[in-house]
Amino acid sequence: MRVEVLLQFALAIAFIVLWVFMPAWSIGGANYSISLMPWGYVVEFFGETHIIPPPTVYAVWLFTIDAGLLPLVWRRSRYSLYLAALFSVLSLSMLMDTILFQQRYLQFHGYTIAPTPTGYIYVLLSTKPVLGLPTYILLALTILSIFNMATRARWLGTRVIEDPIIAIERVLKVLHIEYSRIEGGVKVGGIKIIRRDDSLLLVNDHRIDEVDLGTAITEAVKVGLKQPVSVGVIDYGED
Amino acid sequence: MATNPFKITLLISILSIAIALILIWGTAQTAPSIIHYSTLSNTPYIKVESINVTSNGVYIRLALINNGALAFTPTGGWVEVVETGQVVNVTIINGMVIAKLPLTPQWMGPASVGVKGIVSGTLNGSRAYIAFFDLAPIHIINTIGITNVSYADCVLNVTLSVNVVVPVVIGPIINMSLFTVSTPGYYVFETVGVVNTTVYAPAGSHNVTLTIRVSPALGRYTYVYSCNYLSGFSKYTLWLPIGVTYIYPTGNVTSYTLLTKTFVVGGGS
Repeated sequence: MRVEVLLQFALAIAFIVLWVFMPAWSIGGANYSISLMPWGYVVEFFGETHIIPPPTVYAVWLFTIDAGLLPLVWRRSRYSLYLAALFSVLSLSMLMDTILFQQRYLQFHGYTIAPTPTGYIYVLLSTKPVLGLPTYILLALTILSIFNMATRARWLGTRVIEDPIIAIERVLKVLHIEYSRIEGGVKVGGIKIIRRDDSLLLVNDHRIDEVDLGTAITEAVKVGLKQPVSVGVIDYGED
Repeated sequence: MATNPFKITLLISILSIAIALILIWGTAQTAPSIIHYSTLSNTPYIKVESINVTSNGVYIRLALINNGALAFTPTGGWVEVVETGQVVNVTIINGMVIAKLPLTPQWMGPASVGVKGIVSGTLNGSRAYIAFFDLAPIHIINTIGITNVSYADCVLNVTLSVNVVVPVVIGPIINMSLFTVSTPGYYVFETVGVVNTTVYAPAGSHNVTLTIRVSPALGRYTYVYSCNYLSGFSKYTLWLPIGVTYIYPTGNVTSYTLLTKTFVVGGGS
């Protein structure tokens, strides 16, 4: 499981959890305020509270969950990253559409007027629109999922592994090459790779060579691919 | 997976985009029914509490009626009196909204006037304006009082402070008396019946002096016990029931009032 994809999932969860506690979009004022929460618009008007649930608001977090979860569930094909990117873009679009809903149907500025027994009262409701923190996280999620799509979730680079033997073992594991662990190294088919102090020794039937990590991996894979190979799963390897 | 991932992706993409489009369309369709309309209720309003017409000017007091949880704090505004056309800014004194207008002849006509205006302020922290129109009766306040009394050689001089909005004729005097403040009390003089001494005062604030020669010639039942203050007594009370005729444009109105004054003669008591 790639860290890049876990990060994408974490951002999706962070967006939804944070959104429960703070509005993704709000219009603040003394006696009139609108907050966009996961369950709809919470409108407060002189102590009265009403919840206006536009259907698109539910799509926002449903698409976000899809965008975070899909690359974890479907790991065989890179298409899952494409779909996740689409979901995150759709999620952002739904959020924008929900904000447009507010602009279209819940927009208010200026004076509210109410009749009184002797005339009218005009109350100025000044409001200030604020884009909340969850929206920025959703934006980050969208950018990350597009980036993951473009890089096949491989932009973080190779992890630094202290023991070169473990690095070789990882490669072999991923490729489903059978190997056996021996004292100080691994054995693949007819060759052994043994670590000695800071250098790696490639031991075959006839000779012992001091090699670097790259050569050691190449040799191990070369030998390993001669085995009857069972095709394993490679994360996001397929076209 | 046996099926082509490209086909699955394409299918899910088209489906999810379709769902998104349907939701956008559906939200627009349902919008009018899910929107809740609210208006303010039990809002504060302004009534004209009193209009007092005095010789110093006209005082209009506006009552702010907060009949709900919404608290209005006045900060300014203006009023216009429809009948006279006067426009004046209000002043806020201890939360009371008061407008002071100059006294003009139009104020003598009507029994009530219409007052319109705007009071600005804050409602729960929001800037608010209350526009109002109200009809209110006019109270005309005229005050007449005794400021000074002197009595010597059977001549009584009474200085009256007159604050009136219309010209007045003060007099006649009915049953006046001057007596000592002591136990027992002693009369200096007393009259039974009407003394036809009058004095005219124009509208406004003035001091006028009534001069009365107290003698039996004033009437049959005039008893003069002394032509000067009684010796040994320094504190006296003047009892002066008097008629006042107000000369309104609509007609004269006569009312009777009792003016009294307790005063000290000389330095002692």
